[in-house]
Amino acid sequence: MATVTNWIDHLNKPAEEVAGAVYPGAGSMETTLVIIGIVLWLGWHVLTARSESEELSRLSRKRHGANDHKSNVTEW
Amino acid sequence: MTDQLGALTTIFTEFYYWVTVVLMFLIHVGFCMYEVGASRYKHHQHTLMKNTMLIPLVTVTWFFFGWWIYWAFPTGPGIAPSIMNESTALITDESTFSAKWYLANTEYMAINLGDHISGVFWAAFLLFSWTAASIVSGAIIERITTFAFGILAIAIGSVFWTIDAAWGWHFDGWMLKILGYHDAYASGVIHAIAGGFALGVLCVLGPRIGKFSSSGEPRNIGPRNPWLVTVGLFLIYTGFWGFYAACNIPIFDLGPEYGMEGVTYWTATNIYVTPTTLSGITFNFLMSLSGGLLAGYWIAKGDPFWTYSSGLAGVICASAGNDLYHPIQAMIIGMIGVVIAYKLHYWVERKFKIDDAVGAVAVHGYAGFVGLVICGFVLNGYPSSGYSVGAMWDGTTYATINPLGQFLGAIIMFGVLGMLPGYVIAKVLHGMGKLRIPRDVEIAGLDYEMMESAKKDERAVSSATR
Repeated sequence: MATVTNWIDHLNKPAEEVAGAVYPGAGSMETTLVIIGIVLWLGWHVLTARSESEELSRLSRKRHGANDHKSNVTEW
Repeated sequence: MTDQLGALTTIFTEFYYWVTVVLMFLIHVGFCMYEVGASRYKHHQHTLMKNTMLIPLVTVTWFFFGWWIYWAFPTGPGIAPSIMNESTALITDESTFSAKWYLANTEYMAINLGDHISGVFWAAFLLFSWTAASIVSGAIIERITTFAFGILAIAIGSVFWTIDAAWGWHFDGWMLKILGYHDAYASGVIHAIAGGFALGVLCVLGPRIGKFSSSGEPRNIGPRNPWLVTVGLFLIYTGFWGFYAACNIPIFDLGPEYGMEGVTYWTATNIYVTPTTLSGITFNFLMSLSGGLLAGYWIAKGDPFWTYSSGLAGVICASAGNDLYHPIQAMIIGMIGVVIAYKLHYWVERKFKIDDAVGAVAVHGYAGFVGLVICGFVLNGYPSSGYSVGAMWDGTTYATINPLGQFLGAIIMFGVLGMLPGYVIAKVLHGMGKLRIPRDVEIAGLDYEMMESAKKDERAVSSATR
């Protein structure tokens, strides 16, 4: 995966070769990484939307009054 | 980089944008503080998390497609030809500033020893994106689901404002050519669109419970923590300095850029690559801020919430032309924008029962809209670009700045790319039952469960003696 294995060798190359990508997997991994990133992003929406819906329904069923939260306030 | 002067110029530019990004981060810190201060105790933590989570959501989508849109869409597509390739298609060819180089899977969207600018420029625009989404966030506190806000934040932060930036902010944008559109520091490109988008969402979302009496009279739900709001707005002012600097190119030789043989002219430029100075815009930033504060204090009768917001509205209103205005023009324009935004806010609230919790539609939307229109009169006749000067509607050259072009531009920003998509997306989310939290939760408070689960420990700690 390493794109650079020796900086002295790398910087001794012609300028157009030095000026390039240096991250692991340069030139071969980018599309795979983007696909993984998109899956993670969309998956996050699915997971958090589900847990938010559950939390809202649970709280909604309890039917607390507008001032009930004050009993949860503790004076530190 | 092998020559020292070229390296210095490149690394100075890289560092310049990097500093603007750090400064602009304060805008988001300020927005978070401001929103929490404006929300009621029982909603504080959810309000904070809603605004915080737009950071990763807009960032990853800006990486995946937002940045690409900016570089692909200047031509419309199909409205005016690009000066790079003379085509009206999406710019995805081999042109120097083609979207092709900014696809998420290209080598320029990462650490690349041949590119010192893409990352910091991407980040500067990303911070603008956060701002656009954060403007919407404040207006809709205490009743929107985090899921819905995430979708809306991505829509405004990584899609719609990006399109408007491509159209009206890019040096190759069709709005400059056809309309003579000018908006140097984003009265419309960021503020009017975000304010319009927020208004579209609010039309569907509805007011907070208790905001209006049974007879329809609005009630004031003032900020719960005025000090947090105050510090938040000061931080937004601070971040706004970075925003102004980020809208400039710090050092550029305009001679060869404009095709002038033998001419060398190094200068800072605005986003349109026309000359301005960081020094000059500093006059105007401070004078428009002052105009806003003066007018806000007067019209709101010393109300701190509106006075601070008016300072921001003053800058926003003058921003379209702050690259060229005289400082006193900037101050007067800031004052006018504040008076109109303040009056419109209460008129819209009363007439249409719109509950904009922090006045975001007024401060950003109305002030931005008014600023664009005023800019058309005050800068009438100035070139919208340095590349060429031509007639309005022509499209192959750049029209000069004019009142009609600015007015149409304001409608495009506020209405077409702002309010309309906000309304439509909110309608879809509402149809899915995902837009608004249940009534009982709104009454109980979004933080109820969090507070309840912490209660036992908190009580034990507060009464502990060892």
